[in-house]
Amino acid sequence: MIEIKKLNKTFGACRALNDLDITVKPGEIFGFLGPNGAGKTTAVKIISGILRPTSGTVCIGGYDILDDTIKAKRTLAYIPDEPFVYPKLTGYEFLRFIGDIYKVPFSYQKSEIPVLLKLFDLSAFTHELLETYSHGMKQKLLIAGVLLRRPKVLLFDEPTVGLDPKSIKKFKDILSDLAKKGTTIFMCTHILEMAQKLCTKIAIVNFGRLIAEGTMSDLKRIASIDADGDHSLENIFLKLTDSEF
Amino acid sequence: MLILLFKRKIITLKNKILAIKGWKIIKNLLFLSVGFGMLGALYVGFYRLLSYLEGIQLIGGMLSWKLTAMLFLITFSMIIVSSIIISMTTLYYSFDLKFLFSCPLDMRVLFLDKAFETVFYSSWTLMLAIFPYIIALGQVKGMDFGFYASYVFLVIPFVMVASSCGIIFSMALMYIFPSSRTRDIVWIMGSLSLSFVYVVFRFSKPEKLIRPDALEVVAQYINYLQAPTAQYFPSWWLTKAVMSYGYSDWSAFLKYSLYLIVLAVIVYAAMTYFSKFLYMKGFSGAQEGVKFKGNDKISFEQKIFNLRIPYKDIILLCWKDRKLFSRDARYWSQIILIGALIIVYLFSIKSLPLDGPDIKSLISFLNIGVAGFVVCAIGLRFIFPAISLEGNNWWIMKSFPISIKSIMISKLLIAGIPSILIGLALIVFSNKFLEADAFISAVSIFTIIIVSITISIMGIGLGALFPDFKVENIHQIESSYGGFIYMACCMGYLALIVAIEAWPVQMHFAHNFGRANAWNFTGVGFCVAAFIILNAVVIIIPWKLGLKNLEKYEI
Repeated sequence: MIEIKKLNKTFGACRALNDLDITVKPGEIFGFLGPNGAGKTTAVKIISGILRPTSGTVCIGGYDILDDTIKAKRTLAYIPDEPFVYPKLTGYEFLRFIGDIYKVPFSYQKSEIPVLLKLFDLSAFTHELLETYSHGMKQKLLIAGVLLRRPKVLLFDEPTVGLDPKSIKKFKDILSDLAKKGTTIFMCTHILEMAQKLCTKIAIVNFGRLIAEGTMSDLKRIASIDADGDHSLENIFLKLTDSEF
Repeated sequence: MLILLFKRKIITLKNKILAIKGWKIIKNLLFLSVGFGMLGALYVGFYRLLSYLEGIQLIGGMLSWKLTAMLFLITFSMIIVSSIIISMTTLYYSFDLKFLFSCPLDMRVLFLDKAFETVFYSSWTLMLAIFPYIIALGQVKGMDFGFYASYVFLVIPFVMVASSCGIIFSMALMYIFPSSRTRDIVWIMGSLSLSFVYVVFRFSKPEKLIRPDALEVVAQYINYLQAPTAQYFPSWWLTKAVMSYGYSDWSAFLKYSLYLIVLAVIVYAAMTYFSKFLYMKGFSGAQEGVKFKGNDKISFEQKIFNLRIPYKDIILLCWKDRKLFSRDARYWSQIILIGALIIVYLFSIKSLPLDGPDIKSLISFLNIGVAGFVVCAIGLRFIFPAISLEGNNWWIMKSFPISIKSIMISKLLIAGIPSILIGLALIVFSNKFLEADAFISAVSIFTIIIVSITISIMGIGLGALFPDFKVENIHQIESSYGGFIYMACCMGYLALIVAIEAWPVQMHFAHNFGRANAWNFTGVGFCVAAFIILNAVVIIIPWKLGLKNLEKYEI
């Protein structure tokens, strides 16, 4: 569903991504990990069509993000790490705006928006301006917007920042359900525990290069963790990223 | 601590300058040269004006000082208004305020840092624009270096007084009305009052005072020239101080300089003192959102959207922008001020002392340029910044399955249509007041429609070519080099339009005066072709460049 080939991105003299090759299949929850400044956000922004790659290709559901931009974007939904939204729209209006842009039928929007707002405990704020929402509330609203449009590919950059524990639990359950239904999920996170439990496949990047990719067992093998060693993703991550220096 | 805070600004500036490399150096040097060129042109204009005034027998000297006093008074008022508007952002909504408030900083230090920022932003452009006048004045009056040095020395307290007044007003406003909604209402009422005062002042026909023929005896006119212009205002003290320097009247120079400095110290002390009580409460209030209750009613655009029609994305984006516009009180207050400007404009046209139908028609034609200038000014305020005003939310537009072209068209519809209507209203009513003949009316109405459309498209195009999604307030967009280029292009375009149309209009007047074969149809054809080519170029090039740039723009 997501095919990244020989992806490179440079900002002046800085090479943010270096020959990145990744394939994410339908129904996979793909964890994209790496230290700060490793190139995770840059990669997600390129996949979502916000940034242009220096070279290489990104295909979403068979559509090239540069050549078939609109079709590719219609297939995916992206949530950034900082939930900037239109402060002078209400929560309801914002969801309607998203629904209409993604051509979600009005009758479905009408029935689904209140359900989604209730799911994220936002019903009481439905008609409040977004400038009064907290960081976490905005994040929840964006997730609700994603669920409303039912995309085939989901891109998240630190999706749980600002969410309360109850919402994080709800979010994780939703992701598992969506993946079971065939949605492809690509997620950047620093919460390694969540990645270990939730992701079916994990990639670790450092200095823009892919240093490891696969299931938890694959990663253990790559990191050469002994049978009696610490098998946590945290240990694998530290070992792999430390060995880079 | 205050020095430390200033240091961060200096480092930021230094880093900004050091980041200018490669083609950016050439670009910046180009803009710098254009800027200096404009200042040079202003100097030449002022020098010629002041030389002319100085040359008038008996009253020449008085006239130039009177003009200086009026200029200082206008500058003083403009700095106050600017500092009120800018302080609303710098003192209460700056992106770094939350960080600064969390630091172990003395509240007064934090306030002063932001207050100095306000003083700088509200005055630097005005000070720069007035400088050629001061140089011209010094040269015409034959002043030495000391004159300029004393001006530079005295203009600091002058600017401090004006800005501090604006800041104190903002602080009081935010203290009394901490809730955003109440503040919005007060803000609009303030704009209404300002507009009312402006309109009433204009309707009182102040030009009668400066027209000698409006006064009964010459002595009255001379008295008017010698009388102080707002004598209790710092603008008058600044005028008197620099004037006294010119006449080597040292006691008067010292007196008025002291007035200025002492007042600046008093106002500065008052501002700092009151900030202890007013600033924190105002800042806390500013963090609260507007109490607003929406509903799930389906809007007009959403009803249309549900029909099977093309360009649905554009309709939806228009709906979004309309909602955002209608809920932002900063826009309403500006609309009120524009309304006042239009009323005053039309009143001024109506009051023009013109005799004869031909001269009225000629003025109607030249009015295209002036009305076009008003449309440009509106364009700089509302159309050019439309793209940049997406701000941090630009990621939404970039990640949505909508084309950049649709975004630009929606911005054009929302911001462009009102300016076309304003331009049309100005010309239609002006023509009516001036009793322009049918030919001139038709030409001017047709021209203003095309001019307004072109200026709007150029505004969106150049706005897309020079976007800045990180600005804190709209004034930064207006005063950016993109804004400068937009205004320069608009001025050049208007000048060319008037020049192209002047030839057929001249033929029309020649025909009216009874000249045989006044119409040269080859010439008319040439003008029509030039008109079409000019508009096509001005529409297509900025639009295409803007579209291309925005498609590639990375956030």
